[in-house]
Amino acid sequence: METNILYTHKDLVEQSKSGDRNSQYQLYELYVDAMYNISMRMLGIKEDAEDIVQESFIEAFKNLKSFRYESTFGSWLKRIVINKSINYLKLKKIPLTPLDQHEYHISEEINDQVTTIDIKKIKKGIKILPDGYRQIINLYLLEGYDHVEIAEILGITISTSKSQYHRAKKKLIEIVKIL
Amino acid sequence: MDDFEKYIKENKHQFDDYKANRSKMWSHIESELEIQKGIPLWRKLPLLKIAASILILFGTFSTINFFITSGFNTSDQNNIVHQELRDIDNYYRDLVSFQVQLVKNNPKLHPKDKKEFLSFMDELDEEYKTLKLEMTKNLNNEYILEAIVNNYKKRIELIENLLKQINDSKNLKSNDSYIL
Repeated sequence: METNILYTHKDLVEQSKSGDRNSQYQLYELYVDAMYNISMRMLGIKEDAEDIVQESFIEAFKNLKSFRYESTFGSWLKRIVINKSINYLKLKKIPLTPLDQHEYHISEEINDQVTTIDIKKIKKGIKILPDGYRQIINLYLLEGYDHVEIAEILGITISTSKSQYHRAKKKLIEIVKIL
Repeated sequence: MDDFEKYIKENKHQFDDYKANRSKMWSHIESELEIQKGIPLWRKLPLLKIAASILILFGTFSTINFFITSGFNTSDQNNIVHQELRDIDNYYRDLVSFQVQLVKNNPKLHPKDKKEFLSFMDELDEEYKTLKLEMTKNLNNEYILEAIVNNYKKRIELIENLLKQINDSKNLKSNDSYIL
């Protein structure tokens, strides 16, 4: 069962490794929207997201020989998109983590709960979150990374990732409540 | 995980609001990949660097040969030329054998191709030795020099063929080398 998941689109990947343009295009078609959405959520600007996704596909196809099926092709490509987006934000000096950096190790649960959950409000809430909060919410809730991976991606400690995620979530709930 | 988190994770597909401009983005990607294709192979493959250096070495060697053999006539000078030629020859022979060793050790080459390449190289080495022997008898023999140049050319051709095979093999479907 696991093998099937890991080897998704294996034929396309193999042919793409050989430089087959048609297979590369098919892979592109399969993943471009997902990658574009990831980048849009992180960067928020259409042109920037397009550039990042283009660069990511180019890098992926150029370095496809190093892809050894240790993950799915999709998650390998996604990591390239995420890393490029993060680097872009760094270049633009956009904070990747909240500015109030002091680490406090939250053990208490957040008591605020949203009574009615509305996807539209959450989406809107995420968009208006401060940059640093938005990245960590995206990475944890939408991209599915755990705190170890987020720490690696953002270059922070695991405990910082955890504490900032909790604060970001709290902030998001506050925003959603008033929307 | 609380209900809020669970709800978002379960509905994350609803957060994919955007549609990529597929054709525009692909044309950019494709053009970049084409540029990559157009970059001289010797910049991408270490083996081609070897080939390029061999080419330069052979070119230098033959030029020097012509220069030396046409520039000196007396027997004293011939002795100096002989010594110089021997030194140059030794130097380049060592370099060539080093390059051949690199080919031997290259893990990316198919063993069959490698074997074939090396056997041809050996044959050309033998031919070269004979020619060199002839040349020592008569340094001014243009036919021998021409044969030596042709010997070098054949070696280069051989390396070019090997490189072509490497490139062709890239286009073949093969599962042999993949770690699954």
